[in-house]
Amino acid sequence: MKNKCSFRMVLYELRNINGNFMTHFFGIVFPNIMCFLLAKTVGSQVPEEVRQEVITSITLSMSLVMPMSIMLLGYGALYSQEVERGIPLRMRLFGYSEKSEITAKLIANLIFLTIAFVIFGLFQIIVMDIPKPAFSSFLCLVLSLYLLGIIFLVIAHAFAQIFKKFSITFGLSMFLYFMIMMITGMMGIETQQLPEVLQKIAGMFPMTYVSNDFASFWQGGSYNFMPYIQSLFFLGAISGILLLYSMHKNKRVHLE
Amino acid sequence: MLLTIEGLQVKYGKHTALKITSPIVFEKGERIGVIGSNGAGKSTLVKALLGLLPYEGRVVTYLKPQQMAVHMQFNEYATTMPVRCIMETILNTKIKANKELQELISFFDFEQCLPKKYNALSGGQKQKFTIIMVMMQKAELTFYDEVTSGLDFETRQKLTEKMVKWYRDKEDTLLVVSHYYDELEQLADKILVLDQGKVVAYGKKEELFKTYCGQVIFIMDNHENNRELMKNFQMLKAPEHLLAIAGRNKGEEGEIVSILIENNVNFKRSNSDIEIMFMNAKESFYRKQEGKE
Repeated sequence: MKNKCSFRMVLYELRNINGNFMTHFFGIVFPNIMCFLLAKTVGSQVPEEVRQEVITSITLSMSLVMPMSIMLLGYGALYSQEVERGIPLRMRLFGYSEKSEITAKLIANLIFLTIAFVIFGLFQIIVMDIPKPAFSSFLCLVLSLYLLGIIFLVIAHAFAQIFKKFSITFGLSMFLYFMIMMITGMMGIETQQLPEVLQKIAGMFPMTYVSNDFASFWQGGSYNFMPYIQSLFFLGAISGILLLYSMHKNKRVHLE
Repeated sequence: MLLTIEGLQVKYGKHTALKITSPIVFEKGERIGVIGSNGAGKSTLVKALLGLLPYEGRVVTYLKPQQMAVHMQFNEYATTMPVRCIMETILNTKIKANKELQELISFFDFEQCLPKKYNALSGGQKQKFTIIMVMMQKAELTFYDEVTSGLDFETRQKLTEKMVKWYRDKEDTLLVVSHYYDELEQLADKILVLDQGKVVAYGKKEELFKTYCGQVIFIMDNHENNRELMKNFQMLKAPEHLLAIAGRNKGEEGEIVSILIENNVNFKRSNSDIEIMFMNAKESFYRKQEGKE
């Protein structure tokens, strides 16, 4: 019996995500609340003429919380608990390869990210006052969110498979989550205000560019994407290396 | 030949958990019982054969690890959904549309458990859940690693009976690891005795019994009177509260029976007692080892 990724597996993973409170709270509730609170507090402290740009910047920053919360924190927490209890091994013994498992988990998490993004979008339209984006800018944001989602899921998956403990994986994911939020300008601290070393580290994360620069071309205009794309490649490469290492570490011995 | 083990050695750091020096062959359709105390290397053997552990030596088979089915000692599943959803996902089928699966579910009286979550199932129900899915895999080689561990006597008996009934007319090869001798009496044709990572004995149940216990044995309470009555016969290694006497031929058997009846001693006659065979195989193995040294 060799099982490949199927519609049933994706549905199974969606049910699994649905049963995880952490993903719901941090992926849907948290970015909307944070966005609302930051827009109300910071927005009221800036002059009227820059208010919309500031709120747009807050919205863009908070949109990044979704892939980070759903994939890095939520998935990391859920999957590391599964690994600790031996569930992925049990699935492997039923003929499911790690490739088909991660594919199903990725599809399910991207579906959930889409749902979270739609709710976030509706919240922005109904409650927040951000200007209508240019189509290309909107597309850029959506693509960035999906790409970051994939990268974070791979990182969380690799962490769980390498450390095999919920406590270590969750601790590491949490550290990464808050560190990224702090140094990439998602928590209100501007990257330029950070010490030079931290600025350099921040430059390696794509979130820095989304959070600080995307507002400048939200309604159109030009932007030099090269540093952003380089940071995406960098983070993508790191996640790929981690995944390959974790797969190598857990590979089964081939009988003769 | 389904699988051959040659010079298999598994180490955990510096500790050798399993060392099989003479080749062991599993033929198609055989039912092999693996027995041994804790730390004997039983689960290590299963894991090595499944390719879950690095090892030295060779495991030769045309089967891929994915083509073997296994009921591990501990089986865990997601607790975020009913077990019905898990079962349908793992078997990639719909219960309603799969007659064979429906039959198996009702064979194990599992219908009422389907809407429950895994953590809401009892120990026996949890075991049944995995067994159903393992059986549905229809693998050529199936491992059952301590399938009834932690279950109460009645549930254990019932589960073993169900398994015996299910596999009665089937040709699947089974490797059953167990601490329970009665379970292996029912499920196994061949026995592999392991102790401290070494193979103590391997062979057909009856042959091993003859080798280590003789034609027949008589088991009775171990007390002074009985010991005195049986002092002229060969005493075998047995649990402390019991006395096991070997009847090496028909004549001796008759002699023992008449003494026991004459003295009104309650006894059990057996020609296939895995527990006594296991204890005596171990003793003989270590005696030989000491002799070598």
